[in-house]
Amino acid sequence: MTMQKFPSNVNSVKSRFTNRFLQALKKMNKNKPASPSIRETYRRYHFIRVASYASMASVIRPRRAWSYATLWKIRNRALMKRSSRARSLTRNPRKDIGFEQVSDLRKLVPGGEEMKICRLLNETIHYIKCLEAQVEIMRNIVDHCST
Amino acid sequence: MGSKIETTQPQFRSGNGGPKPSEMGFVLEDFPGLISAPPRTETDNSFTALLELPAPQAFELLVNSPDAAANEESPAKPSIAGSAEVHSHFPPPPPIFPSDIGLFVRASKFSVFASVENSNNSILSNSNSKKSDIVKQEPSDSDSNPNSSSIAASGQNPKSAKRKEREKKVKESNRKSKKVTPFDASEDGGEKLPYVHVRARRGQATDSHSLAERARREKINARMKLLQELVPGCSKISGTAMVLDEIINHVQALQRQVEFLSMRLAAVNPRIDCNLDSLLAAESGSPVDGSFVGMFTPSMCPDVQYNGNRQHYNQMWHFDGLHQPVLGREEDNPNFITPENSLLSYDASANSASLHSSQLKMG
Repeated sequence: MTMQKFPSNVNSVKSRFTNRFLQALKKMNKNKPASPSIRETYRRYHFIRVASYASMASVIRPRRAWSYATLWKIRNRALMKRSSRARSLTRNPRKDIGFEQVSDLRKLVPGGEEMKICRLLNETIHYIKCLEAQVEIMRNIVDHCST
Repeated sequence: MGSKIETTQPQFRSGNGGPKPSEMGFVLEDFPGLISAPPRTETDNSFTALLELPAPQAFELLVNSPDAAANEESPAKPSIAGSAEVHSHFPPPPPIFPSDIGLFVRASKFSVFASVENSNNSILSNSNSKKSDIVKQEPSDSDSNPNSSSIAASGQNPKSAKRKEREKKVKESNRKSKKVTPFDASEDGGEKLPYVHVRARRGQATDSHSLAERARREKINARMKLLQELVPGCSKISGTAMVLDEIINHVQALQRQVEFLSMRLAAVNPRIDCNLDSLLAAESGSPVDGSFVGMFTPSMCPDVQYNGNRQHYNQMWHFDGLHQPVLGREEDNPNFITPENSLLSYDASANSASLHSSQLKMG
């Protein structure tokens, strides 16, 4: 399995992500009636956020550490009804090169808790690229739906 | 999906695999600088066959018979295509330029270290006193083989190790440091044996631990450079701590943008049904990037849709007003505010007013 530092085909990633995300949105709209109450909107917001991360992670497959961790977290949430969130993450302190920002980065990048630094940096690079693609597509969708 | 993830997990954690074409491409970008750097005589490449010989024999062989080196080169060449191994170049005393350049260009496509190797070996072969160095390095070479497996077990990337080696060798050649010749090869094939073959600089410890440490540091520096290019505004910043701060800020900003956009999507959602179908239809035909509006407006939307939009607009105004507490976010990142403001201005005026006021209240 080639571990590329960047998605070599960003456009295909984008189109695949768009497809999955839009399908998820459609499914969501079919199941629940679109009521403008705040609760419903909040639930929809939550669902959309999870759906966006899930669709991006599923496009990348569990090939990268962060996508794997994202999918795993989502599945855990679905299965265990958020009981897994309550448990504190066992901090396995990897030895850092002496920067405390690295620990912050570990918290940000999904799955970055127990990686070594060079792998964490790899994952961060890939993660940033996919996040940027995700944000761009979501912004396009919102722009399009708002007009 | 569960079983699929299970099976992919061990693959995924097995560490770094073999030669990566993307990385190869990335590495090759550095070539012009490297090629121009050492203006030394570059000669025939001697490849795998030579490297398998112990150092003194190889040295002897090459010094004595450049023809043998040239002969060995051609069968070794195809093996280079598969394995990105680096091989020492022992220049015969009279430098031969045209063939060198041709060989050099070809070799540079296959092996990363061609240019640097040549320069180093030219330095090396010139001084005989290096024999002691060679002999001394021999046991460490043989030692480093079992050690390098432990180094490899730490999950080092072979390609970047090679690149690191190459960068080091450029510095070494510039410094005219005395180095051991033969043990230049990075991992062979790369797919099977992620050995890291590291060169000891002059005056530095040659034990495997410091070598591994140095290799690791070089790898991390390379990654940081990549990240600097990726995050806007980072290339001017010097110092790893500041760069890391910028990277963290950027990731946080991106995640906040995702949240914000999903909230907006949730707010817009009642209208999404009619839009999505046409979106998906338009989707199947063409690529996505920002071409939504252009694709959508001319062909796909019937008039009924516009009426539906107008009705939903009233609804949207209503609960956008309700959303003020929810929509407020801290937007301390200046990069974040501007695209959102542009988005807001793109919206209907009433919407933008309510959203904007909520932002002003919260921000």
